[in-house]
Amino acid sequence: MEKNWDVIIVGGGPAGLAAAIYCGRALRKTLVLEKKVFGGQIVFSDIIENYPGFAEPIVPADLMEQMAKQSERYGVVLENDEALGLVREGENWRVDVYQNTYTAKAILYAAGSAHRFLGVPGEQELLGRGVSVCATCDAPFFQGKKVAVLGGGDTALYEALHLAKFASEVTLIHRRGQLRAERILQERVFKNDRIKVLWDSEVQRFQGAQKLEALDVLDKKTNRVEPMACDGAFLAIGTIPNTGLLKDLVQLDENGYVVTDISLRTEARGLFVSGEVIKGNRRQVAISVGMGVQAALNCEEYLASLD
Amino acid sequence: MSEIISANDGNFESFIQGHPMVIVDFWAPTCMPCRLMEPGLEKIAASHPEKVRVLKVNVNENPKTSSRFFVRTLPTLLFIKDGQVRTQIVGAVNPVQIEKTLNEVS
Repeated sequence: MEKNWDVIIVGGGPAGLAAAIYCGRALRKTLVLEKKVFGGQIVFSDIIENYPGFAEPIVPADLMEQMAKQSERYGVVLENDEALGLVREGENWRVDVYQNTYTAKAILYAAGSAHRFLGVPGEQELLGRGVSVCATCDAPFFQGKKVAVLGGGDTALYEALHLAKFASEVTLIHRRGQLRAERILQERVFKNDRIKVLWDSEVQRFQGAQKLEALDVLDKKTNRVEPMACDGAFLAIGTIPNTGLLKDLVQLDENGYVVTDISLRTEARGLFVSGEVIKGNRRQVAISVGMGVQAALNCEEYLASLD
Repeated sequence: MSEIISANDGNFESFIQGHPMVIVDFWAPTCMPCRLMEPGLEKIAASHPEKVRVLKVNVNENPKTSSRFFVRTLPTLLFIKDGQVRTQIVGAVNPVQIEKTLNEVS
């Protein structure tokens, strides 16, 4: 495996793969490191309906596989490994992975975000035993059962709609009195007989021994906590940025997001950022793709200045 | 060269008793991360044919095996040594992490 690269892209989601296509076409030796599966978090969804250019809903994993293949067509190397260290060494960057080290003239950091958890009792203990972050993956386990979805954004509503095809009852538990999701999704949820919405409510505890059995739900208006019998609970309460490797290199806001502008440059020379690690990103595949392209073009400008 | 073997409720036990080290990949056709993890598992199966046998179990068709191990999230990987579950990985991971876990367990 080649050790020295022009660009190493950290993250193989929409931003990283879109950037990779452009870096490859700029004839730069480009390596993409992805710590989980190529395609990023969007592959946990069953459909994507708002990616421009497709009149019919598409399967996100198919879209992302095409992006990966498209980048490989231009010589990009995709490596399924985790960047564990990122250090500036002289004029280059060093990236450490498990049992290996690479160097690059530039880094394009597009490591995306990870599922946010509530941090309440029982959640981690029952993760994989009824508590889940992927309805597409786990819905078949809940055929004819009662499930809850936590959240009020696009992801939560997509999860609820998907689960309603399997479960007997889906309760959408949202901490506010209105949803953030696209109106078209809200309409579908409100029309679905199997989905009910619990407004102004928060889960305070996940109960169960071997598997999830109930949730303790706080009604924020009455301040009362009631148990709710439940076989599955799906978390869709947002994400946290994967910026651990950047904390000593660039300015992060109080929530760990990178603060930058349309240039997608950072104060660290040769370090560009893209996608969901950036403050203000609205978590859409189309946005991440565009940001990936923007970062790649600026990265290319930087590399050309070194030539 | 070894490859991933599709196991079912009927033959699962014979596979885990027949080899000292087995990785079981619980999956379903609707689980996209499972699909994207498969090439990595294929590589592991092919590169360590003596060391490990890799099985895949479709949870939709084999509810007994998934219930036996309380599998409720996909992908789930079980690492079974000498017929006993030694550890598991829940959720999508890269092949390096699978290999690392395999080395720790075996």
